[in-house]
Amino acid sequence: MNDSRFVQSLGLVTLVVFFLASFTPLPNLLNHWAGVPSQLQPAEAIVVLAAGMDAPGVLSNRSLQRMIHGIVLFQRGFAPLLALSGPINRQSGRDEAGVRAEMAHLFGVSPSALVTEATALTTREEAARMAALLRPRGVSNILLVTNYDHMARSRLLFEKVGFSVHPASVDDLSEVRKPEARLRLMRQLAQEFLARGYYGLAGYL
Amino acid sequence: MDPVFILMITGLTSVGMLILGVRRLRFSMAGLWLVLGKVCETIGLTLMLFLLNLAVGMSTILAWRSLTGRFVSIYIASDTTVLILSLLQALTFQAWRESSRQHHTSESRG
Repeated sequence: MNDSRFVQSLGLVTLVVFFLASFTPLPNLLNHWAGVPSQLQPAEAIVVLAAGMDAPGVLSNRSLQRMIHGIVLFQRGFAPLLALSGPINRQSGRDEAGVRAEMAHLFGVSPSALVTEATALTTREEAARMAALLRPRGVSNILLVTNYDHMARSRLLFEKVGFSVHPASVDDLSEVRKPEARLRLMRQLAQEFLARGYYGLAGYL
Repeated sequence: MDPVFILMITGLTSVGMLILGVRRLRFSMAGLWLVLGKVCETIGLTLMLFLLNLAVGMSTILAWRSLTGRFVSIYIASDTTVLILSLLQALTFQAWRESSRQHHTSESRG
């Protein structure tokens, strides 16, 4: 009977959290608290972090948002180099960084201004591989392009490998109002908090 | 507007169901409280199973990574389908428990 009461209470708490996450600005406030706003400044390179592909050659929404932001910053003259990250898909043999480079080329970015990295599989690896690629070119000052909620962890990792980082956040969802969008935001935040916890426990941060 | 509109629609149909149940179908209010408790129990069980599935999934991925050296993204363990499957597990477990209880009761009477 006591077990049943415990499970019922857990269910009630879950329902309360569901209503708070869907119908109140709780996720918006959490996102505002966890995210890092942009601090755009001229830099030596713009680094666009990976966000995955939905199908071979098809960038995910998050990947596309980051990429477009990177191209816009490049076209506005914030840096002379555009560094693109994104691993290879074993089944299709296509890599996210390569797909992004083709896209950048279509938008008028010269191939000589592009740097691609297709081996890193985690944010920590992206920081290490980008350091190995960019530091020999004399790059120490970067504009980092990633999502608003992903920026805090990414910035720490890139600073740890010796970069001076200026955040160029995309997709600040602090103002979303639709219940479904708020739930999606809550899920993204839960994933990011779990990742921060894992990175913290593993001593990566 | 969206959140208010959605709450208004579901609130209205809930009141409609309450009126239908009490006035037309003669359901008891005590029965409603009992069922709400059962609903909370199912949701609580779903959460427990979801967390269990998540923990097992993440541990398996981390073990796979360290044993084989091959990378598998930990995000695959947090797919939305895991939540839906956890709900199915909870509903099945609840129904199984109820039918077992009824079975035991009828056996002890017989």
